Amino acid sequence: MLKEYLNIVLVGVILLTLPLWISVSTATDILIFGLYAMGFNVALGFAGVLSFGHAAFFGLGAYGAGMALRYFDASVWISLAWGLTAASLGALVLGAMCVKKRGVYFALLIAAFAQMFYFLALSPLKHITGGEDGLKGIPLLELRFPFHLNLGDPHNLFFFVLFLTLVCILIMHHILNSPFGSLLQGLKENEQRLKACGYDNVSIKILAFTVSGLFSGMAGALYTVNLGYVPLDSFFWLNSGRPLVMTLLGGMHTFFGPLLGAGIFIFFEDTVSVYTPRWEVFVGAMVVFLILTFPEGILGSIKERLNAEGGRESGKVAMWLKKLF
Amino acid sequence: MFDIPFNILVMQAVIGLALGAVFILLASGLSMIYGLMDVVNFAHGVFYMLGAFALFQINMLVGNFWIGLILAVPLVAGLGALTEMGLLRPLYKTGNPLYPLLLTFGLSVAVPDVVKILYGLMAMPVNYPEGLSGSFMFWGLIIPKYRMFVIVVTAVAMAALFLFLKKSSLGMILRASTTDKLMVDALGVNVSRVLTVGFTIGIGLAALGGGVAAPMVAVEPDMGLNMILQSFVVTVVGGLGSLGGAIVGGIIIGQVVSFTSLFAGEYADVVIYLVMAVILLARPRGLMGEIGRE
Repeated sequence: MLKEYLNIVLVGVILLTLPLWISVSTATDILIFGLYAMGFNVALGFAGVLSFGHAAFFGLGAYGAGMALRYFDASVWISLAWGLTAASLGALVLGAMCVKKRGVYFALLIAAFAQMFYFLALSPLKHITGGEDGLKGIPLLELRFPFHLNLGDPHNLFFFVLFLTLVCILIMHHILNSPFGSLLQGLKENEQRLKACGYDNVSIKILAFTVSGLFSGMAGALYTVNLGYVPLDSFFWLNSGRPLVMTLLGGMHTFFGPLLGAGIFIFFEDTVSVYTPRWEVFVGAMVVFLILTFPEGILGSIKERLNAEGGRESGKVAMWLKKLF
Repeated sequence: MFDIPFNILVMQAVIGLALGAVFILLASGLSMIYGLMDVVNFAHGVFYMLGAFALFQINMLVGNFWIGLILAVPLVAGLGALTEMGLLRPLYKTGNPLYPLLLTFGLSVAVPDVVKILYGLMAMPVNYPEGLSGSFMFWGLIIPKYRMFVIVVTAVAMAALFLFLKKSSLGMILRASTTDKLMVDALGVNVSRVLTVGFTIGIGLAALGGGVAAPMVAVEPDMGLNMILQSFVVTVVGGLGSLGGAIVGGIIIGQVVSFTSLFAGEYADVVIYLVMAVILLARPRGLMGEIGRE
C-alpha cells in the first residue's frame, strides 16, 4: 500500500521544496501546467488519443471558474467545481462528436473546435467574457472552508494549488491503475482486439477523453485562481501545443514525465523571457530537436535505459528506480 | 434581401470568392500532402506567411509586384523541399504519424518568431499592383479588380494542377502513391522523391496563396496561425484527401465568411466551425471525400 504510493509521496516532497529554489510564482505555474500536461497525457500517453485542442478544456475550466467568481460571487470551491463541470462537459460533447475519426484527423478537429471557442470568447460573447482583454474584475480570493486562508498571498496560493494538484495526481494514479486503466492500454495497443473482447471501444475512448479534459479543466480553473483573471489566450491553439511540448519533453509513456516536462518548460520560458520576448523560437526549435533526437523524452529515455539494465543480474537498483517512474 | 442593394451583395460574393480562392490554394496543398504522406502539415500556415513575406521583400528590392509574385513561389517551394528532405524524411521510418505532425507543429511555433526577429511585429505594406487597384463596372455591377484577379489565378492554378495530376506521367505516379506506396515502390519508382515532389507542389500552392493574399490582408508574422486551422476546416468540409473537395469547401467557406461578416460581423470567425460541425455530423467524410479516408 505504502510502497505503491511511494513515488507520489516522493514527488510531493520535491514539489513542496520548489519555492526554495525558484520564485514561488514560477513554482505555482509549474504545478498548474504540470497538471494540465498530465491530464493531457491521460489521453495521449495512456489511451493513445492525440488532441490538438486541449486549450478548449483548459479554457472552459478557466472561464467556468472565472465567471462563477465574477458574476455569481461564488466561493473558490464552488467556482472550481463550475470550471470542472464546464471542461468535462465540453470534452464529453467534443469527444463524442469526433470519436469516430482516425488519429491525426481527430486531433485537428478538436483543435478547430477549440479555435471556435477562442473566437466565441473574442467577439460574440464579449459582454460576458471580456473579449480581447480577458475576463477581469474577479474579486480578491480567500478560502472560507475548511479554514480561513488568504489566497492573495503567493505562498498560501502555492500550498493551495499544491494540495489540489497532489489530490488530482492521486486520483489519476488510481484511475490509471484500475481495470479502466487497463482498458485504456488496450485502446492504445489494439483497439480491434478490445472490441473483439466485447468491450465498447467507442464509449471507452469518449470516457478517456472526458477524464483527460476534466484534469485539464482543473488546471484551467486553478490558473484563474492563480492569476485573478482569465486571459483570452487560454483558448488559443498555441495553448493546446504547450502540454504537448511538455509531455514530449518529459516522456509520454511515463506517468510523471509531463510534470517534469512542465517544470523544465516553464522554468526555461521564465528564464529566457527575461532576456528576450522571442522565446517561442527556442520552444519551437526545442520541439524540432527533440522529435529528431529523443522522441521518448527525458524520463522515457531513462526508463528505456533502466529497462535494458534491469535485464541483467546487477540491475537491482535499476529495477527499484524503474518502479519510481 | 432586406434593404441591402443587389450591387453590394454581388460585391460581397466576389470578395467571398476571392477569400475562398486563397482557402482553395492552401487547402488543396494540405489535402494533397495528407493524401500522399498521411501528414497533416501544421506548418502550412507558415509557408503561406513566408510566401507573403517573400513577395513583400522582393517587391521592396525590385519595386515590381509581378516579379515578386513569380519569384516568391519557387523560393518558398524550395524551402518546403528542403524541409521535407532534411526534417520530415528521417521521421517516416519511425512509422508513427505523430512525429511528422509534431515536427511541423514545432516549425509553426518557431518560424513566425524568427520572422518577428527579422521584420518586427508591424504589418508590412504591400500595395495592389498597378492597374489592379479599384474596381470595374460590369453590367452595372461593381467588381473589385484585384479580387477578380485572385479568382482567375486560382482557377488557372487549379486547372493546371488537375491537368498535371490526370495527364502527365509524374501526376499519375503521384496519384498512384496516394493509393499504394508499396506497389509504386515495387514498380521501380523512387517513392521518397515522389513524396518530395508532392510536398513541394503543396508548399508552392501555399506560397502562391500567401503571395496573392498579401495586398488584401495584413502581412505580419502571425498571419498563418489562424489560416492553418481555417484551411483545415475547408478540407474537412470538402473531404480530406480530395482535390475537388478542397475547391468546393473553399468556395463554401469563403461565401460563409463573407456573408456572415456582412450581416453579423462578430460571428464571421465562429460560423465556419459551426458549418464544419454540421457537415461533420450530417456527412462524416466531408462533401466529396472518399469512404475510408476519414
